Amino acid sequence: MIKCFSRLWALINKEFLTILRDTKSRIIIIAPPLIQLALFANILTMETKNATLIIIDNSQTLESRELVAGIENSRWFAKIIRSDNLQQAQRALESEKVQGILVIRQDFSRKLKKGMTADIQLILDGRTPTTAIGLNDYITQIAGRFSQKFTPRTGACVSTLTRSWFNPNVVYQWYLVISLIVILALVITLMLTSLSVARERELGTFEQLIVSPYTAFEILIGKTVPPLFIALILQAAMTAAAVFCFDIPLTGPFVLFILASFIALLSFVGVGLFISSVCDNQQQAILGAFAFMMPAILLSGFVSPIEDMPLFLQYLTYANPIRFFIKIGNSLFLKDIGLADIWPELMPLLVISFATLGFAALTFKRNLE
Amino acid sequence: MTAATCIEIKNLTKTFDNGKTLAVDQLSLTIAKGQTVGLIGADGAGKTTLLRLVDGLLLPDSGYVSVCGLDPVKDKQMLASKTGYMPQKFGLYEDLTVRENLEFYAQLKNIDPDFSQMLAFAGLSNFQDRPAGKLSGGMKQKLGLICALAGNPELILLDEPSVGVDPLSRRELLKMVKQAKGGKATVLWSTAYMDEAHGFDIAVVIDRGRIIYCGKPEDLAPDSRQFEEKVIELMGGYKPKESPVAENFVMPPVKGEYTVEALDLVKCYGHFHAVKNNSFRIRKGEIFGLLGPNGAGKSTSFKMMCGLAKPTSGTARIMGTDIVKNAAAARSHLGYMAQKFSLYPNLSVRQNLEFFAGAYGLVGQQAKEAVARMNKIFDFSRYLDGNAGNLPLGYKQRLSLACAIMHNPPVLFLDEPTSGVDVMTRREFWNHIISLARKGVTVLVTTHFMDEAEFCDRVSLFYRGQTIATGTPEELKRQAAAQTMEEAFVNIILQQEQNP
Repeated sequence: MIKCFSRLWALINKEFLTILRDTKSRIIIIAPPLIQLALFANILTMETKNATLIIIDNSQTLESRELVAGIENSRWFAKIIRSDNLQQAQRALESEKVQGILVIRQDFSRKLKKGMTADIQLILDGRTPTTAIGLNDYITQIAGRFSQKFTPRTGACVSTLTRSWFNPNVVYQWYLVISLIVILALVITLMLTSLSVARERELGTFEQLIVSPYTAFEILIGKTVPPLFIALILQAAMTAAAVFCFDIPLTGPFVLFILASFIALLSFVGVGLFISSVCDNQQQAILGAFAFMMPAILLSGFVSPIEDMPLFLQYLTYANPIRFFIKIGNSLFLKDIGLADIWPELMPLLVISFATLGFAALTFKRNLE
Repeated sequence: MTAATCIEIKNLTKTFDNGKTLAVDQLSLTIAKGQTVGLIGADGAGKTTLLRLVDGLLLPDSGYVSVCGLDPVKDKQMLASKTGYMPQKFGLYEDLTVRENLEFYAQLKNIDPDFSQMLAFAGLSNFQDRPAGKLSGGMKQKLGLICALAGNPELILLDEPSVGVDPLSRRELLKMVKQAKGGKATVLWSTAYMDEAHGFDIAVVIDRGRIIYCGKPEDLAPDSRQFEEKVIELMGGYKPKESPVAENFVMPPVKGEYTVEALDLVKCYGHFHAVKNNSFRIRKGEIFGLLGPNGAGKSTSFKMMCGLAKPTSGTARIMGTDIVKNAAAARSHLGYMAQKFSLYPNLSVRQNLEFFAGAYGLVGQQAKEAVARMNKIFDFSRYLDGNAGNLPLGYKQRLSLACAIMHNPPVLFLDEPTSGVDVMTRREFWNHIISLARKGVTVLVTTHFMDEAEFCDRVSLFYRGQTIATGTPEELKRQAAAQTMEEAFVNIILQQEQNP
C-alpha cells in the first residue's frame, strides 16, 4: 500500500516538476491569467461611460432646460453639446464624434402643462449596440425621475421613444469578472493538460511510462492531480482578486464555491487530457485545445444568451462545461444559495468529467495492450 | 597550398560559451584531393565542430582554414556549390514524399532536379511517393546522402551518416560515396564504426579538440579489430574490470528454464505483415542478440515483447508471466531502454533518476541509495543538476541505461543501446551488460554493431518479419562460411534474398 502511494507520488511529483521546474514556465503559468483578468475586466466593460451627447432643445422653456440640466448633472456623460442644427448633429453621429442625439420638440412644455405625454426623441448609433443600450437606459432613468416631478402636479409624464431593439439588460462588471474567471480557468487548465500526454508521446517518454509497472488508472491520476491543483490555486487567486480588487461580494458559501470549482476544473482537466491523448504531437494538441476553446466560450452563454441560439446549438451547450460553471459562478456570487440549487449544474459537470477522463484512460489502455 | 590539396587547416581554435568550452584546440590538418578521410573520436571530441568549421557554418576563433582554395567564411557562396554537407540529423521534411524532398532540395541548391539515377542506385526508386517520415532508418540516411551528393560536389562532409544503420545499408552508403564524382571527390566522414574507418585512405583520431593520430589506418593496425584496440589505446585506454552495477544484484527465483519467451509473435498492419512469426526462448543469464536490417521488424517485436504493441496473435512471457494477459505484473520484472533517448529532457539528471526509482517502487532510503549508486557507477556528478536534455549523447545513453537497471530488474531489454555512442563508451556499456548477465540477468539486445554481436551468447537474425537464422555467433559464422559477424550477416541475408 505504501509502495503504491510512493509510486503514485513519484509520478505526481514528476508532473509538478515538468510544469514548474524552470522560472520561465512558472511565470508563463502564473502571470498571464492574473494580468488578463485585470486587463479584460477593465477593458471589456459593458457599461457606457464617457459618452458624448448632443441635445437639440427646440422647446427652450423652463421645463426643457430642467430636463437638460438633469442630464448634464448626471455624471454618466463625458460631454453634453447643445446645438440647434440637426444636420450637423447627424454628421457628428455618423463620424462617431458623438454617441447620441436627443431632440426635444417645440411642444414639449405645452404638452406637459396640458397633462399630456411629451415625446423626446433619442437617436442612437446602432453600430455600437452596447453604448446605445446604455445611453437609452440613462435617458430613460433621467426622464423617469423628471416625470415624477410633474405627475403629482398635473398628472402628466414623459416617455422616451427609442429605436434600440436590444433588451436593455443592465450588465455590470461583476458578471464580466466572474465569467472571465471561469474562462481563464479553462484556458489555464487546457494549456496545462492538452500538452502533457502529447509532449510525452513526442519525446518517447510515454512508452517509458507504459513499460513501467504503472497502470492506466495510476497514469491518469498522475496526469490529473498536478494541473487540477495548480488550476485550483489560480482560481482561488482570481476569486480573491474579484472580491478584493473588484469589490464583488461572494454571497454564497465559500466551501461550496471551492467544491464546485473542483468539479468544474476536473471536467476541464478531463477535456484537456482527452484532447492530449488523441493527439500524436504537441502541435496537434495545441490546435485541438484552441479548436475546443473558441466554440466553448461562444456557446457558454457569456457572449450571447443560450436561449437566443438555434435549437441544435442549444442542445450542444449541454456538452459544454463552461456553460455550467459560469452559471454556478454567477449564482454563488450573486445569490446566497446551497448545494441543492446548483446541483442541476454540478451533475452535468460530473458526467463530462467522467466521460472525458474515462476516454483519456482508455487511450492509455489502448497503448498498454 | 598546392593544387593537390583540398583542405588546409592551420592552428584552428574554436571555443563555445565565451571561451569556457574548448571544442577545437590549435588543430592543423592537410587533406589531399580525392582522399577519403575517417574522423574518429570520443563524444564531444570536436568532430562535428571541425566539420562545421570546414563548411563555413561556424566562425573560427583563430587560425587558418582553406577549402578548395577558398575561405569557407568569406567565399561561402562559391564554396556552397563545391561541397556537400550531411549533418548528423539531416533535415528531411517528414510529411513530404521522397521526391518532394529531393525537388525542394534541388531548388535550394539551384540544381537539376533529376535524381532518378541516384535513386535507382540507392534502391529508393520504388519509394519515391512515400513520405520521408515513413522510411526506415537506413533509407532516411540514404536519402540524406543523395541530397548531400546532389550537384556533384568536390568535397563531401558527412557527420556520422551510418548511426543506426544496418551493415547492408552501410555498405550501400559507402558505395554511393565512393562513386560520387567518379570516385574523385574528397570525403571527410566522421564515424563511430572502426571497421568503416579502417577501410578509409586516412584515419584522423581527435581527442579533446586535438589530433592525436593522422595517417593510414593500416599503419596503425592490420585489421579493424586491432585497429579498434589501438584507437582505444590512443584515447587513453580502457581497462575492463568487474562492473559495479551487478554488485548487489539478487536474482529472484525463476519458474522453469526460460526467463524470456516469445511465442509465435505476429503483427499485422492491415495487409502488411511487420512480424510474420517470431519465436525464441532465452535462458536466465543469457545475452540474446536480435540482429537484422532496418525495417525487418526488430523494433516491432521488441515493442510486443514489452507490451507497447498488441500482438495480432501469439504472446510473450517474461519470468513466466504472460505480457498480454497480465501486462503490469510482467513489466515489473523488466528494465527497458528505448532506441530513442526517452527520459525527461527538462528534468535534471537527479530528478530523472529519482522519478524512475519511485516509479519502480523504491522508497526512502532504498531510493536514495539507488540514485547514489547510479551516480557513482556512471559518473554523473558533473551533470547531476543540469537538464538531461543538455547532456552529451554518450551521457544520455548512460542515463537511459541507469534508469533501466536501477531497480535491479531480472530481465533487461535494450533497443540499440550503443547507437551513436563512441567506441570507449560502447566498451563500458558492454562491460556493464556482461557483468549483469553473469549475475543472472537475462538480456535481450538489438544492435547494428556486428562486433557487439560477438558478445552475445546467442544471436537471432531477423529479416522481413521472420527469423532466418539462430545460434551462437560461432555457429552463424560457420553456417555462412564467414570470418566476422558482419560478413556472416551480409552473406546470410544475401543468400535469403537469392532463394526466398
